Amino acid sequence: MFEVVLNGLVLGGMYGLIALGLNLQYGIARMLNLSYGEFFTAGAFSSFFAITLYHLNPLLGLVVSVPASFAANWVIYRFLLLPLIRRAPNRDALDGDVVLCTFGLLFVFQGFEQVYWGGNVRGYYFLSFPVHFFAASLPANRLLAFAAAMVLGGILILVLRKTRFGRALRAIAIDPIAAGLSGINVLNLLALAFALGGAMVAISGALVSTFIASSASSGIVYTLKALIVIIVGGPGRMAGAIAAGLLLGVAEQVGGYLVDPGLTLAINYAILILVLLIKPTGLFARG
Amino acid sequence: MGDRAKQLLFLAATIGVAILAALPLGLSAYGVSTGIVYFANVALATAWALFSGPTRYISLATAAFVGVGMYTVAFAHVSLNLAVCLALAAIVGFLFALVVGLSTLRLRGVYFVIFTFGLTELMRQVSSWYEINITHKLNRFITISIDSIVIYEMLLVLAVVAVVGSWYVSTTRLGHALRAIGEDETVARHTGIDVTWVKVLVFAIAASMMSLVGGVYALRYPSIDPTVGFGNAWSFQVLIAALLGGPRRPWGPAIGAILLVLLSDFLVGAFSRYFTIALGICFLVIVYFIPGGLAPRIEQLFGMLARARRAAGGASGAAAPREPSKDAAKADIETGAKMRAVPHRRSALHPLMRRLTRSGPRLVVRHGAGPPPGAMLSVHGLRKAFGGLVAVRDLSFDIPAGGITGLIGPNGSGKTTVLHLITGELPPDAGSIVLQGDEIIGVRSFEICRARIARTFQLVRVLPGATTRENVMLGRMFGSDPTDPATALTEADALLDRVGLADRAQLIGSQLTYIDQKRVELARALATRPQLLLLDEWLAGLNPTELKIGIDLIRRIQREGITVLMVEHVMEAIRALCGHVVVMNAGMKIAEGTAAEVLSDPKVTQVYLGEDDAAA
Repeated sequence: MFEVVLNGLVLGGMYGLIALGLNLQYGIARMLNLSYGEFFTAGAFSSFFAITLYHLNPLLGLVVSVPASFAANWVIYRFLLLPLIRRAPNRDALDGDVVLCTFGLLFVFQGFEQVYWGGNVRGYYFLSFPVHFFAASLPANRLLAFAAAMVLGGILILVLRKTRFGRALRAIAIDPIAAGLSGINVLNLLALAFALGGAMVAISGALVSTFIASSASSGIVYTLKALIVIIVGGPGRMAGAIAAGLLLGVAEQVGGYLVDPGLTLAINYAILILVLLIKPTGLFARG
Repeated sequence: MGDRAKQLLFLAATIGVAILAALPLGLSAYGVSTGIVYFANVALATAWALFSGPTRYISLATAAFVGVGMYTVAFAHVSLNLAVCLALAAIVGFLFALVVGLSTLRLRGVYFVIFTFGLTELMRQVSSWYEINITHKLNRFITISIDSIVIYEMLLVLAVVAVVGSWYVSTTRLGHALRAIGEDETVARHTGIDVTWVKVLVFAIAASMMSLVGGVYALRYPSIDPTVGFGNAWSFQVLIAALLGGPRRPWGPAIGAILLVLLSDFLVGAFSRYFTIALGICFLVIVYFIPGGLAPRIEQLFGMLARARRAAGGASGAAAPREPSKDAAKADIETGAKMRAVPHRRSALHPLMRRLTRSGPRLVVRHGAGPPPGAMLSVHGLRKAFGGLVAVRDLSFDIPAGGITGLIGPNGSGKTTVLHLITGELPPDAGSIVLQGDEIIGVRSFEICRARIARTFQLVRVLPGATTRENVMLGRMFGSDPTDPATALTEADALLDRVGLADRAQLIGSQLTYIDQKRVELARALATRPQLLLLDEWLAGLNPTELKIGIDLIRRIQREGITVLMVEHVMEAIRALCGHVVVMNAGMKIAEGTAAEVLSDPKVTQVYLGEDDAAA
């Protein structure tokens, strides 16, 4: 049972890691980017190519994928989403447009990945030796992802709490109009936050690819996972995303262990639905 | 479009459907199965848009309802007759949607999208698990064999029923209610619409159509499995089809569905390798170049053609404008003034509609001439706190029937909160609010509206996408004396004339100036036939001439027998109109009496002007 919980925590750390970027994009910039997972697979693929084609450390793939994903997401916000924001008469209309637009992007990216990288599942071995931990043992690559989740989550929390940039972002998340009236360059900062979200997901893609193989069509799976984590944790709350990730990971493992491993996904969705019904603002939301 | 054009269109549609129905006799098996795909998509997209179009709730639960229908048939056909199975599919879908709707329709925006998506995924996971672990077979066999021509005909019928039904609903009160909810739920509630019930009912009707389509569609397969039944491709395909065609036109989703199936067939053939990319680009094209869908564009095109033809044929062929003539409007005012004296009559509404307009069990709606003697409304010991801030503290006052009561006080003293408490927008922490002997605390907003309390909003709320006239019709269709749309239309025009908006009846809410929006709000409130009208700073921001007109208007409303409570900062209006004034500060009543009394009260001058000036 100890091992099950430990596995759950490590898995949950990974969920938290995947969700951090979307939490910037959806929690702060309030754009539900359904093509989010495509940048996860881009990160995974760049690591895969780094090791298979150039025999480099797979994490060196980040040197390419992080700036590329940052830039691509900035462009998406600035040139694709901003016109929709300007056009929308209200929030509901905007949400509809954004869902449709990013869904289109998802298909476009996925199509390109399929055409140029093929539809195969791509995996490789990296840091797959076990690390012993009390009575249990865990693969090193999973621990690395867990550690990265904690560190990146911590950095994001600090940035949001302590820096001018972070305070401005939190102000925008609460009320974009009032933030603009207080002299914050709302659109620039939101584009930056959105792009940062893209950079984060590329990192998570590279880290997760060390132990889970990806294919061109697996992006949406991670988008949805991240979304569940964010909704459960409370949009915009970084600590909430990490905590919700851990909760979901443990629930999944323990549930799978006690009931049936075939139900792990069902448990995820059941938790999501319960949270939406009981506390739609998220378990760790303020107020 | 003229009546003749409409008849032609109807005739063409009927012939078209007849041809489609006769087609399979000469079609290949491939043709028949293509038809099946088209009809299923048309029916599903139309059903989706019936609810999601006007309310703008983006649902990804289509697959869940389709799957429920498929599995109902798959389970039931072993022991039951096919017709019974299909009826059962529709019923199960309806009930399932009722439960889902009641628990989730308070979620808005993205939350609803995610919820419906999660629900579908959950159902697929659970059904896979059930089939694998309990029945030990992932596939569930469909053992009756039905000729595919029969399936073709059944789906054709469903598609036609969906399109015609959704057109019909859009013309009824239910359709108007849905559109109002989509535009502004708060306004809908305060105009007497039972928002929850309308949403849940329509959601369930749409879902039962989806389940029925699913049930028929299942008959095509030798066996079904969870990825067929609950595959989220259903949800996405239907969503895209409806958005492409135009979800706010009854026939839009049908066009979208046909185009989408055509398009994907074409793309698969032409760019098989790049199919996904091409499909993605199509989405982007829809978003950026045809927002709102194709249907409004097509209507525009037809409108242009019709105008061009009319211009060519001279003015003689032009349809008579629908605007009522000045005389007719005047006559309406006369009847409008007399309307109040007519005892309450039940309109000849459909029983289903009557359920929508039924008053709450706790309230007996009293319709009748003239205000009753005594207090119209008594507030006693009312309290409302927001966290640590007590907005209303132990407040008691009466609103004398037939008079105009002023509720004044500095900004932040809790006046608007009092209006929210009276209209059921907020629940009070303690106290009682009695409307002519009936306690109304705990009564929902729409029932309070039907109990003949109407209000305007401090921050004006006109439905931005509806015309001035539609805004006012809403009040008449759902207020305390609900009528059908046609009656509401004529009476709405009379009311618009009264508030000076007759020439702006066709303007869209968002095109109106601030003052005109306030007028629309007042007309809409009056259209609900209130006995008590709550005005929240209705005179704020008017120039001196407009103020004078506004004051006269309020006085006339009172003379017709409507009791008025006005929250106001314009002292000139308070002096001119209010026989009774209540002054609030920091949530408490600090003075009460005639306008002259309270305005000379030192406590009142102190809160308005500050201690020093009051002493001077």
